[in-house]
Amino acid sequence: MVQINFALKEVNCKIVYYGPGLSGKTTNLEVVHNKAPKSNVGDLTSIATEGDRTLFFDFLPLNLGQVAGMQTKFQIYTVPGQVYYNSTRKLVLQGSDGVVFVADSRRGKMDENIESLKNLEENLREYGLDINTIPLVIQYNKRDLDDIHTVDELNEILNKYNAPTFEAVAVTGEGVFPTLKKLSSMVLEHLNAQHGSARIKSKSAVSVKEPVMAGAAGNAPTAQTPPQAQSQAAPPAQKEPSGVVQEQVSASPGVKPVERKVPTPTNKVTQKAKRKTQAPPPPPVEVNAGGKGKGGLIVAVVIAVLAAAGAVVYFTGAWKNFV
Amino acid sequence: MEILAERRRIVGRRSAIVTDSDKIREKRLVFYKDDIDKINDVLKEFLSLSDSKANILIDKEGHMVTKAGSTDDFDMQAVSALVAGSYAATREMARLLGEDEFSVLFHQGKRDNIQLTLIGDRTILATVFDERTTIGMVRLYAKEASVKLGKIFDEILKREVEGGGAPLGNEFNESAQNQLDSFFSE
Repeated sequence: MVQINFALKEVNCKIVYYGPGLSGKTTNLEVVHNKAPKSNVGDLTSIATEGDRTLFFDFLPLNLGQVAGMQTKFQIYTVPGQVYYNSTRKLVLQGSDGVVFVADSRRGKMDENIESLKNLEENLREYGLDINTIPLVIQYNKRDLDDIHTVDELNEILNKYNAPTFEAVAVTGEGVFPTLKKLSSMVLEHLNAQHGSARIKSKSAVSVKEPVMAGAAGNAPTAQTPPQAQSQAAPPAQKEPSGVVQEQVSASPGVKPVERKVPTPTNKVTQKAKRKTQAPPPPPVEVNAGGKGKGGLIVAVVIAVLAAAGAVVYFTGAWKNFV
Repeated sequence: MEILAERRRIVGRRSAIVTDSDKIREKRLVFYKDDIDKINDVLKEFLSLSDSKANILIDKEGHMVTKAGSTDDFDMQAVSALVAGSYAATREMARLLGEDEFSVLFHQGKRDNIQLTLIGDRTILATVFDERTTIGMVRLYAKEASVKLGKIFDEILKREVEGGGAPLGNEFNESAQNQLDSFFSE
């Protein structure tokens, strides 16, 4: 189930790698984790048994980047393949927006593939999803081994859904990216078909359709407001008399909010007043000799001495001698 | 045993009746800035009243909706996914015991604790707190916050049922394709 968050400017989708035990689902995820740009993937989290078999799920967050102004993120899961773990497998499948079925190409594994596919169909149905309509890609893995079925055989038995298929050798990374790319593309197309054409009728919703960044409260990344939207997004800033707001640079983990000073009208007036009352910049020699403060002091002293001398000349009547 | 079996039957029947609003509720979750502002206000108030460290609102699929408090130390995406996984596993346990679901979960640590509270049908509020407060305080104010958030979600759902899809724009598909081409170029 897609989450569209116009406040954070994010689209979040869930992708699940499904298939029989030891078909290479976790390996697919490891390859994506290793090959994708580091700035775009998070840590690979795995809930596995001591024998390194997936117990609940593996999880990899992947940030595709900006798509039409929205940060588009995929959360990629694998399920435990063994028949025994159907209850947890079903839980991971809940709310998925697309499925990659990883089939084992080896002869002797066809029954497991068929059983797993049937199980996928049943579990999807329990969530009200249809395997024929949900974005689905089938990957025929382990193509480098000797005793394997031909693609035609696999297609005939497994691909009754007319789904796109890819040959892969997940351990070497071959075919992993094309599989994920195709599914991602299908998921986003499906998403836009569902959400793109219609418009929100609610008046209040229309008023906030503009891409105005908001965010979490408190110390969390808070708000980036374009100038024209600042009056709308006033509450967080109003509580900060100094005009300090936090700017969210990126929604990716580990990126810390940057403090940004927003000068308020009061600040501007104060700054102008300060500029007027400041002493003129000192001559370069004086700056080199001792800095701005000292230079200003010398100038002030000179002016005071000249003024005092003038006053003395005036009041003593000495000026009459010069006239 | 008969009572347990009867409860299971009732739970089964409930899940079998799917209304239009249920379908919409299951298909999409769209948040606008107004929604997030309202939710943030409730989370901030809860944070201050309960003296907790952080509050994170997560949907059942493991996507974070919004957060309040100090969360810089956490990998939010992984935490969100694991909270959703933990919640899903507990719900399944509840179902096997003939319960609808357990609406509050609590994990106790040496330093930090986490409480998970179900909000409406679709989201989970994860509250991280330490020795500065007590579980009683967190629970008390979480209950209040959950009612307030529930009302906000009802409004969102109503809008979704009456309205339509979210406007992602016509350029979305083309932009997505370009981004995918560049991201997956080997």
